[in-house]
Amino acid sequence: MEVKTKKIAAIVTIAIVAAIIAIAIWPHSEEVTIRTTGATFPQYQVQKWINEYQKIKSSVKIEYEGGGSGHGQEAFLQGLTQIGRTDPPVTEEVWNKFEKTGDRPLQFPEVVGAVVVSYNVPGITHLNLSQNTLVGIFIGDIEYWNDPRIAQDNPGINLPHQQIIVVHRSDASGTTDIFTTYLSLINSTWADEVGAGKTVEWPVDKMGRGLAGNGNPGVVAILKQTEYSICYTELSFAINENLPTAALENKDGYFVKPTDNTIKEAVSKVSSNIPVPEEGYKEDLKQLLNAPGNDSYPIVAFTHMLVWKNINGKHYSHDEAIAIKEFLKWVLTDGQKPENLAPGYVGLPEDVANIGLEAVNSIEVP
Amino acid sequence: MYPFNLRKLKDLLFLVITGILSLLMIIPLLHIIFTVFVEGIGVIIRVGPIFVTGTLSDGGIGPAIAGTFILTFLASIIGIPIAFAVGVYAYEYPDSIIGRATTALLEIMLEFPTILVGLFVTQIIVIPMGTYSAIAGAFSLAIILMPYVAVYTKEAMSQIPFTFREAAFGLGISKIKTVFLIIAPIAKRGILTGLLISIAKVAGETAPLLFTAGGLYQSYPQGITNPVGAIPLLIYTLVQSPSPSDHAMAWGASLVLLLIFLGVFIPLRLSIKEVKL
Repeated sequence: MEVKTKKIAAIVTIAIVAAIIAIAIWPHSEEVTIRTTGATFPQYQVQKWINEYQKIKSSVKIEYEGGGSGHGQEAFLQGLTQIGRTDPPVTEEVWNKFEKTGDRPLQFPEVVGAVVVSYNVPGITHLNLSQNTLVGIFIGDIEYWNDPRIAQDNPGINLPHQQIIVVHRSDASGTTDIFTTYLSLINSTWADEVGAGKTVEWPVDKMGRGLAGNGNPGVVAILKQTEYSICYTELSFAINENLPTAALENKDGYFVKPTDNTIKEAVSKVSSNIPVPEEGYKEDLKQLLNAPGNDSYPIVAFTHMLVWKNINGKHYSHDEAIAIKEFLKWVLTDGQKPENLAPGYVGLPEDVANIGLEAVNSIEVP
Repeated sequence: MYPFNLRKLKDLLFLVITGILSLLMIIPLLHIIFTVFVEGIGVIIRVGPIFVTGTLSDGGIGPAIAGTFILTFLASIIGIPIAFAVGVYAYEYPDSIIGRATTALLEIMLEFPTILVGLFVTQIIVIPMGTYSAIAGAFSLAIILMPYVAVYTKEAMSQIPFTFREAAFGLGISKIKTVFLIIAPIAKRGILTGLLISIAKVAGETAPLLFTAGGLYQSYPQGITNPVGAIPLLIYTLVQSPSPSDHAMAWGASLVLLLIFLGVFIPLRLSIKEVKL
């Protein structure tokens, strides 16, 4: 027994050591590895792009890394990643830090999604929510599903006399930031009493009608288990989990459901508010929400990429710069076609994609 | 006198209660193993051998498995020798100031939030190097592994009766030989168990790798100064996706991790014989 054990241990050790040494001295292949780090909101989409792109260009390996928008900006600043990803536009303070590296950062939208309101009310498959009703539910004023204000938005629908359970995020989240910014934008009471941010004090929690879930998967899981609950989440989760989405009242008073068309419509209406890539910090989330028009969904969510202009080859080598340019050019053209989009994400209208293309073309190849 | 007296009843009650409680404690463990098998086996069968050899684009987790082995191995060779020495020191000089401080520090390190270890290593290794790397990931895992190894070493050696030391000294054997050639071999079962537990623990760690190893799933690792992936890190990424196929893949990866863990742990644990005193 004793001798046998030692033999096995010796063999295992030698095998592992040999494997490690082999990997360590393995001749480095011609492959170029490009890393993209940050926002998890576009994860599904970015992974789909990587899979598709890998099929047509196998010599370039694209590595996806999550960690959130904050981590994406930090890793981009430290040069740990080639392509940063961030949901909220970079603030002026961080932008200045980028500029201090002696290179120029470029920020542009890569794809859009939407924050949607989903609900679990047996028997109800269509729900209209006016701006005031939406705020009323999430601030806690509206306690029951058959409240006259909800009934007024939904004539002819038999609403149950059941308490509304509001499900929200427990972790700091860009989704919460977008949703609460929208609520602040449409309602001054919400703006004064709750405000906007990655985390907020939910008034419904104090009333005992709030539940919190970790991440979008957590929120969706609670919604599915809890009858008569309502939540906000990302469109891609609502689609993948077959959740109903509410039609929200937009700026011009129309009830609009989140679909490809209504999201694209909203993006076109606000595209003039997207700054040039060299001045990414000038982007203001509020100007991109609550778009006018009779078919614009009010809560669209942009997500951005960050790349360096690579002045004097500061950040990217020759091979890297070429690989990044080719990949991003593909993302902003073919990548925006329906066959390369993941469920729940909407391609950029051409004029918005061109903002990014211009930035990509300006990347210098040393 | 009575065939069914109160004392016997109490004894029976005690047995039943401990039995039920032990069962309750084991159920979650069995449930985890069962669920991981049921959910994970499907995707592995569907994808076939590619699942353990292919890259993420091929539908496999090969680079992550390689990464986990590299990280665990590197963390072990960095951490175990130091931790063993620390454990021996804490055992040999329990009442000295340094010995007491070491023991206290080890206990703090055991409970130290692992994400902070990752951030610390990011600051001292990743940022100066300008890249994520296997060595940075391994270093943060080593920091987590060390207190476990040291504490287990110290505890295992403390269990050996003092008479063995007296006998060794009586024969004129030097202190260093007594510790390394007599006490340590007698305590080997405890020490090796500690090693296994700590290696298994770091093989399943996610948080310390988040900002240090970087992740590498589209190609196999190239050298220890380049980024690597790890199975837990990949699982963490996959479960955040809204895609059901990503979730299936995460279950498959969990099953692979579980099999590696059981495959290493059970044979080794069974083969380490206790030294009868």
